[in-house]
Amino acid sequence: MIDVFDVLLGVAVLLGAAAALYGSRRIVGVMSFLVLGLLLTVLWARLGAPDIAIAEAAIASGVTGAFLLAAATDHPETSHEEGNVGRRTLMVLEAAIGVSAVTLVGVAAVSAARIAPADPLEVQASAAVADAVVDHPITAVLLDFRAYDTLLEIAVLAAAVVAALALLCDSRLTRVAWVTETRPVVLGFVRLIAPVVVMLAGWLLVAGSTRPGGAFQAGAMLTGVFLLLYLSGRARSMVTGKWLVPAALIGLAVFVAAGVGTFAAGREWLDVADGWGGVVVLLIEAALTVSIGAGLAALFIAGNPERA
Amino acid sequence: MANLLPVVVLLPLVGAILTSLTTHLGPRRLTPLISTVTTALVLAAGCAVAFQVGSSGPLMLVLGGWETPVAIALMSDGFSAAMLLMTAGVGLVVCVFASATPEITGGYWFWPLWLFLLAGLNAVYVSADLFNTYVALELLTVAAVALVALGGRAALLPALRYLLIAVLGSLLFLLGVALVYAETGTLATFGAAEETTGGLVLLVALGVMTLGLAIKVALFPLHSWLPPAHAGAPAAVSPLMSALVIKAAFFVLARMWINLSQGSAPTELAYVLGAVGSVAALWGAALALRQSKLKRVVAYSTVAQVGYFFLLFPLVIAGDGAASALAWEGALVFLFAHGLAKAAMFMAAGSFAHAHGTDELEQLRGAAARMPVASMSMAIAGVSLAGLPPTLAFVGKWQLLHASIESGQWWWIPVLLIGGLLTFAYTARVLRILLDTEDADDQQAKVEQGKFTTVRTDYHPIPQRMQYPALLLAVLTIVLGLRSIDLTELLQAGAAMGGL
Amino acid sequence: MSRAELFIIVGVALFVFGAARMLLTGDLIRRVVALNVAGAGVFLILMSLATVRDASEPDPVLHALVLTGIVITVSITGFALALIRRIERTEIVRSGPRESDG
Repeated sequence: MIDVFDVLLGVAVLLGAAAALYGSRRIVGVMSFLVLGLLLTVLWARLGAPDIAIAEAAIASGVTGAFLLAAATDHPETSHEEGNVGRRTLMVLEAAIGVSAVTLVGVAAVSAARIAPADPLEVQASAAVADAVVDHPITAVLLDFRAYDTLLEIAVLAAAVVAALALLCDSRLTRVAWVTETRPVVLGFVRLIAPVVVMLAGWLLVAGSTRPGGAFQAGAMLTGVFLLLYLSGRARSMVTGKWLVPAALIGLAVFVAAGVGTFAAGREWLDVADGWGGVVVLLIEAALTVSIGAGLAALFIAGNPERA
Repeated sequence: MANLLPVVVLLPLVGAILTSLTTHLGPRRLTPLISTVTTALVLAAGCAVAFQVGSSGPLMLVLGGWETPVAIALMSDGFSAAMLLMTAGVGLVVCVFASATPEITGGYWFWPLWLFLLAGLNAVYVSADLFNTYVALELLTVAAVALVALGGRAALLPALRYLLIAVLGSLLFLLGVALVYAETGTLATFGAAEETTGGLVLLVALGVMTLGLAIKVALFPLHSWLPPAHAGAPAAVSPLMSALVIKAAFFVLARMWINLSQGSAPTELAYVLGAVGSVAALWGAALALRQSKLKRVVAYSTVAQVGYFFLLFPLVIAGDGAASALAWEGALVFLFAHGLAKAAMFMAAGSFAHAHGTDELEQLRGAAARMPVASMSMAIAGVSLAGLPPTLAFVGKWQLLHASIESGQWWWIPVLLIGGLLTFAYTARVLRILLDTEDADDQQAKVEQGKFTTVRTDYHPIPQRMQYPALLLAVLTIVLGLRSIDLTELLQAGAAMGGL
Repeated sequence: MSRAELFIIVGVALFVFGAARMLLTGDLIRRVVALNVAGAGVFLILMSLATVRDASEPDPVLHALVLTGIVITVSITGFALALIRRIERTEIVRSGPRESDG
């Protein structure tokens, strides 16, 4: 059941979270959060979830880490913490309320976990995977059973990209300050690594239908390539050009088209089963990969200062 | 006809993609047109859904060719159909208002973001799945925050605070979903309601969901994010925030309570919500009376009106059959009335602010003479909100009063009455300032004494298209008050699934 | 106590203290970090619940929900940080560059 490694991992996660939450400086908090991400990657693997482990490493930890580091190094610290007396009382209060809330919710969550529902969705979904258009259970849930969730999720990303662009003076990324990198070692590294990462992303995408991996993980790797190109000052037109918004929207567009198309073809909305279903799912996944890759990169770049 | 349900979500998304492309790549002049036409089409779809629900009961559609609980189901009952109607209706009127000049939208990105918001709102209203509701809430949050941020530099910090607190609310909701799923083994909203056994798990699940959604509805004392965000947003955005966005979170909250807690409702928690709502109604109104800026008055008014919505819980949960049904109808009619009236008030306030370059009440002294239509909209909407007959809000409040007496919970009556008086008081205060033309000379003298930091010299007339949308919605609160029976019939017709 | 229950408790702790920090701290970036910690807590609860019935074959539905949640969270984090970087630049323009005395 429970062994020493689990306990140590649990304690490490708690310590990582504590350092991220209460670190003395901004940068300490951000770095601790990155460590927490690594610990969670181990934890997901421990819980038998390689898909989530890859996603955590690439999306939650990798891309979020890039976002946070860029923001934290912009301005080291801006706000000043409150006075000592008020702060100490507040900390005690926070700890007391926190511990009672953890107890209450923890007891409820553990007792909820001990209830065994009669005919849980888990069993029904696992049984239905045999009839799904892809073999990998998680991909089947994401793009077949609950494709509508994924459609709305990619709409959230599209809305966030549009939202970030709307903050810019000219609503374009063309005026965002550009990094000029001249060191040959860095440029050589980027030239070497970028195609490798793109290939890896492609492999993750295709592999997703039968084994861990898929559009989300592949998309995050693509974001990495975009950011490398951006940070090394290369391929400017590719990263900030006009096509960035279309690229960030294509996942949503293809998904909506698939939803409407299946209905127009006389099936249920978003019903992609049978024959051509696997191809449609792969098409949607490819579009999702492009959108996640371009969209997250756009969110990163949109935060940078603009030239006057 | 159930096939209309995906349309109300997918159609705005198509519009959002198209308008994003026209805004980014041009031609930009097409953007408002596409957005307005899309909204009109969504309204037509909403009308069709409401008609169908009204004539033959709730609509249900399972997506993807699977069955629940494996797949996600969409559902629309009377409550949901009424919200679809209000959302697209108010949205269309605001679109007409917003197309008057780009200055009141904060730029062309308003249009795609509004369509993302519309998709998110409608997705919430037709969802019959708990996790899907979470995703829909996040979509509408991102769109709503982005719209607030269009208000310029001063709006950025309020927008960020709104984002952080709203996402925390979503996470609390998701935590509740996790508990419900662990207990019932399903994510289908109505399936979970049948499986749940009550007890500690349900109490905590409902508690964290309620807390999260109460943050999003801005229930006192969790309201402090609302006034800066709603007042700081562009003129065309504030009406959407106050009339529509708040309602979506309340819709989910009401749905969770009525469904999940069937039979095993935590009555004490319902009373607590009613009590907190009462304080909110009075406190918000008192603060509205003290604001020096017009948009702030309207924003605090929202904090106050939200309080009334929460009287739904003790009256429905603790009341018996008849009183419970009355309260349910009353609260929903009031919700509807608030949407129309508040959108009208914010559009009128936005017109004043746009015409005068400020919404400082002192600077708007005597503005009624220059802007009679906007002043009239403000007056009608305010009177309607205060619950004077024959308006729609009157019908709602009357039913809530009736339900209080029927269920023996008489202590809500003074709240309803005093709250109405206070609403009337802050409306009257605003109108007195707007109508005050007598001391123009006096004002000049004050200016010379340096009592005003800035002198308004830049009043310019506003386009016709900005004036009449507010009046239309304000008049609708009266017309619908006379025809409120149709609305209550719609709510009753679709109530079969709501458990009432 | 099983492994799932241990990690459920850890998840609840992450959520509660992350949420509390988000509400109580003034620094904008720390608030975003705290919100992400709270989100990780909810995901940890969901992931632990996935192993309750059969630890060797976890619930694919919950895994899919967590993946969806992760993408949503990173999108929102990206938008929030774009907002913050803009706000802080505006502040610095307004008050002139100032050294941190942290």
